[in-house]
Amino acid sequence: MDPAEAAFDVAACLERVRLRDQTAARQLVEHLYPLVIRIVRSHLPRRVAEEDLAQDIFLKMFTRLEQYQGNVPFAHWVSRIAVTTCIDQLRAQKRRPEFRWADLSETEAEVLDHVLADEREAIPGDALAARELVQKLLGQLKPDDRLVLQLLDLEQKTLAEISALTGWNQTLVKVRAFRARRKLQKLFQDLQSKEKS
Amino acid sequence: MSRFDSSWQRLVALARQAPADPRDETAPLGFGTRVAAQAASRTATTGWTLFGRLALRGLLVAAAFGVAAIALNYSVLTSDQSVDYAAVDTVGDLLDFS
Repeated sequence: MDPAEAAFDVAACLERVRLRDQTAARQLVEHLYPLVIRIVRSHLPRRVAEEDLAQDIFLKMFTRLEQYQGNVPFAHWVSRIAVTTCIDQLRAQKRRPEFRWADLSETEAEVLDHVLADEREAIPGDALAARELVQKLLGQLKPDDRLVLQLLDLEQKTLAEISALTGWNQTLVKVRAFRARRKLQKLFQDLQSKEKS
Repeated sequence: MSRFDSSWQRLVALARQAPADPRDETAPLGFGTRVAAQAASRTATTGWTLFGRLALRGLLVAAAFGVAAIALNYSVLTSDQSVDYAAVDTVGDLLDFS
């Protein structure tokens, strides 16, 4: 059991929530909010307010509460709802903004230059710019591809963890990650050819 | 590992060094209360919606039976029954003391 779950008696709270205790429902939301908002912020679709998305996730959680069997920690169960809700929102946004070199900040362009040049020394520039750049690049991919690279490469989750979060089997996770990296590679090549022309 | 994969891994490694998101992670004031109230009202609404759907379905089935009953008995309803009543006067026959 997670330490956070141990401090907060989730099982007792869930019992009260099932008996329509609104105070318990409020306590459960407040307890899980940091977990949910972290997931929302790392997968937030464009033009969607994070609070609205968090609210959708909690409402889904309450609607499906009867389906929770207790086989996995409650936080894991809620994380899966949060991830699938974010991915559904991303899928709903069919259009993705065009990625152009000119839209990058000076630091982001410098970081990208060094990455593409394959320079062995440490990339100068700021880690924040690199994170922004990674988010912009991932934003070009389809939601499933974006999700798998975000979880695997950026958040360094294991295949088993990704499988538990998404419901995809581990082979599918590996295949999706491979294909997503190939798409990203093509994106890099297009960007380079556009920059040269 | 290809040249691209190596570049990508260096980029994400640098991105991981970025400081954690400094934004507050506690629920905004009133968020929990609002969500709990919405969840409760949604549960109640769902119950009524289910009842409403069943009631509407029952009403439609009843209406269909009504229409079918009228259609099947249309000829009987429209026929001139006064002649039959006059021809067979059971009560009159029973009360005929003559």
